[in-house]
Parts: sequence; structure tokens; C-alpha cells
Amino acid sequence: MKQHLGRQSGVQKVEVSLLDGKVDITPKEDGQIDPAGLLKATYDSGVSVAEMDITARGKIVRDAAGDVALQVAPNRAFAFVSNDLSKGLEALASTATEVTIRGQLYKKPAGKRKTEASPPLRLLILEIQSKE
Amino acid sequence: MQTIRNRLAMIALLGVMFAPVDQAQIKHIEMRVEGMT
Repeated sequence: MKQHLGRQSGVQKVEVSLLDGKVDITPKEDGQIDPAGLLKATYDSGVSVAEMDITARGKIVRDAAGDVALQVAPNRAFAFVSNDLSKGLEALASTATEVTIRGQLYKKPAGKRKTEASPPLRLLILEIQSKE
Repeated sequence: MQTIRNRLAMIALLGVMFAPVDQAQIKHIEMRVEGMT
């Protein structure tokens, strides 16, 4: 799995902890990393992803569907799962303010042993680390 | 005077080139996986 993930675009470093099933991925600074591609690569290596959390910086935008989203690259934005934290960011949509967010991008549905990851992924905000 | 201006311009240029870029991006990803041996 480590080799599978290490070959993905935008991945700088992969650290795997066999003990607790944790995989830490450090992206390159080129902004090319694709979380959906990482999920697929993980499944392709025969391992099931239970959860994926990300820390990301970007601007708050409204996507084509009108949902509030975090834009992390010119061509990549993650719509928020609505919660109190996401509602607090709605006023920043289309402003120059950049925020750094830690959130859950994927969680395996309960009751299923193995499922295909199904993008588009939505970001459940767990923590707003900064607003600038 | 011209030399000083050139040096200042060079310093400014180098500052822009090597300043840390804190742009929009994914900074870290953490996954919890199952079935890993």
C-alpha cells in the first residue's frame, strides 16, 4: 500500500503505522494531491479505508450547486457537510480570507465491511485552525 | 547610486523568490485503514 500511495501524484511522503492502522501522507507543495485518487489507490492495494481526515488551507467559495466549499486549488474544492462550524464560514464565501481547516473527508458507512469510495467527497469540519 | 538601486532590486527579487509561500493547498492527510497486514 505504501508503494501504491507513494506513486500517486502530489505525494511527498507516506508513513504507515501497522500497529494502529494509521497512514500519514505529506503532500508536495505543488497542490496536485488528489484525496479521491488516494482512496482509490488504497482500495486497489486491498486495504479498506475507514476514515480520511485532512488539514487544508484555502478560500471559502460557493460551488456550482450553491453549497459552501473550501477551495484548495484552482480546480479543486470540497463542499462542506453542514454543521455549526461550516455555517460560521458562510459569510466568508467569495472573500479574500483564507482559512485553515481540519476536517473529515471520508468515513466508511457503518455496517459495510468494504465499500468503494464514491466521490465527490464532502468535508465535515472538525476544527478551524486559522482565519486570515 | 545606480549600484545601490540595483542591489536593492536584487534583494527584493530574492526576497520574493525565497519567501515562504503559504498558499491554498492540502497540508496533511491522515487515513485510518482496516485489513492491513
